[in-house]
Amino acid sequence: MSLRWWRLAARNLFRHGRRTVLTGSIVVVGFVAATMTAGFVAQTFRGLKDITIRGQGGHLQVVSAASVGKSDEEAATLLLDHAGELTRSVATSPDVLQAMPRLAFFGLVARGERSVGYMGTGTVPALEKSATLTAEAVAEGAFLADPEGDEVMLGGGLARSLGAKTGDLVTVMTTTPDGGLNAIDATVVAILRWPIKELDDRLLFLPYAPAARLLKAEGKATSIAVTLKPGVDLEKAAGALRARLHRGGAGAAVKTWIESAPFYVAVRRLYAAIFLFTGLVLATVVILAAANTMTMSVFERTREIGTLLAIGMERRQVRNLFLAEGLLMGLGGSLAGAVGSLLIRAAINAAEINLPPPPGATSGGVLHVELIPAAFLVGFVLMTVTLLAASWWPARRAARLDPVEALTHV
Amino acid sequence: MSVPLLAARGLTRIYASGQERVVGVREATLSFAAGELAVLAGPSGSGKTTLLNLLGLLDRPDAGRLELLGEDVSTLDDRGRARLRREKLGFVFQSHQLVPVLSAEENVALALWIRGLPEVDCRTRARAALASVGLSGMEGRRPDAMSGGQRQRVAVARAIVGEPALVLADEPTASLDSETAARLLDLFDALHAEKGIAFLFSSHDPRIVERVPRRIRLVDGLIVSDETPAGGAS
Repeated sequence: MSLRWWRLAARNLFRHGRRTVLTGSIVVVGFVAATMTAGFVAQTFRGLKDITIRGQGGHLQVVSAASVGKSDEEAATLLLDHAGELTRSVATSPDVLQAMPRLAFFGLVARGERSVGYMGTGTVPALEKSATLTAEAVAEGAFLADPEGDEVMLGGGLARSLGAKTGDLVTVMTTTPDGGLNAIDATVVAILRWPIKELDDRLLFLPYAPAARLLKAEGKATSIAVTLKPGVDLEKAAGALRARLHRGGAGAAVKTWIESAPFYVAVRRLYAAIFLFTGLVLATVVILAAANTMTMSVFERTREIGTLLAIGMERRQVRNLFLAEGLLMGLGGSLAGAVGSLLIRAAINAAEINLPPPPGATSGGVLHVELIPAAFLVGFVLMTVTLLAASWWPARRAARLDPVEALTHV
Repeated sequence: MSVPLLAARGLTRIYASGQERVVGVREATLSFAAGELAVLAGPSGSGKTTLLNLLGLLDRPDAGRLELLGEDVSTLDDRGRARLRREKLGFVFQSHQLVPVLSAEENVALALWIRGLPEVDCRTRARAALASVGLSGMEGRRPDAMSGGQRQRVAVARAIVGEPALVLADEPTASLDSETAARLLDLFDALHAEKGIAFLFSSHDPRIVERVPRRIRLVDGLIVSDETPAGGAS
């Protein structure tokens, strides 16, 4: 279609400027809603991903091959041997930033008459501090400092249940992998405020050395948490590490953070479903509004269409003219929507709106809508295709008009 | 013997109106030569517009045969009929039927746009057509800034810009006052004389019927007379 037909299509749109603006504004709102939702969802995913990775201690987990597919409690008893040597080997991999051995254990922690169930982690304090969220969660006291010391950090909920505060002595009890009972006394050096309440009520951190003594598992680890260098491809790095460990015959398996994060996968699926549903609702509203506008336009211009057909315009040319009008409305609306979306995003981000804590979490965050170029591209395509779809039937109807009947239309 | 511009044999058009069948045109047979000037005359409902629509390839006959420049066009498909309409025919309607968002020049050029001609050609020829109907200097005006007579002249320019063999005009003076109608008829005469364009009118306006040399009268869809009064040129 040549430029003159596009010019005619553009002018036709403004025969009823108010109606076109109204329909266009629905496209704008649809575009803004889609891109803003995408930006918000992206921020949520990024935050959730970051929390999940840092909550696991890194991007990859090296675990005992025997523990794969087992429950957390069972896996906690299936330890990696020669953890120190294995950690050093993993840490020298080209994709790896750092690696640290961790021990996972469960039991009761007691203070005075009170005892509460906990979920414990034995870790290397310096590495834990740099690779995980734990240091940011310290609400009271100071992070573990002595890698050999009998120090303990408690989740806020757990500390409240015990009535413990920093400086108090607590007794940490557990069952060793051999089935025996063991306990150590440790001083509370920090109270944490963990963002997920269920974990806040149960978390306990010990340095690796006393945790290994407690479990009678010196030189062993439940897992080696691996942090990758920035920009490294997760799957490629996991593959390279698997090959390296296989060659070393360590009897270890490598799990990516996403394999250990069913919650993250479930949330992603839920958001994707919500996003799809919202998109369908928006597309339906836009289709109905645009189809109504185009149908009215065809009805009002019936005699004109009859004239065009009479002077020799082909039916496909008539159809294309109306489709071009729909396409231009889609492009124009999307363009205005893109500008609107950028402005609204800037305003929202500048306002630093505090969000309430999500369910299960103890702290909220600041609303930040990310700029997702792909969402803008998809928005353009989606709105344009939607407008084309909405214009199709009216355009087809216009093209199929009988010129004699159209010329006498009142 | 030269091939007639238009030849109709036994053209019949029947409309269904509920259970009833209404005969619009009954077995119309006529021949029309290049450069001829004729009018389909008759009272309202006599079938003038129906016959004009059949001859202008806007409608299909239920029976009969129609030839345009010797080619049987009765059975042509939509695309073929559209091609002939834009290349061989021109149309003027009772109301000007101009596109309101286009200027006078663009409205005239529209008939060439649909042929896919280059923009420069379209513009040049549209300006020439507007000049030939006395509208030089009004190329940029939109229909809503023109009088009824001027709009109808633009419509005439649109009809002739493609240099058609025949212009079909359905009640072209019906919506014009006497003075404007007279000027439009003078214009038709001039275009006929200068460019040799054939015109076929449909009208019950005596101002047209009296001025046109060949008068084809219809009553109830039937051609009752086809006369060229003595001294009438065709």
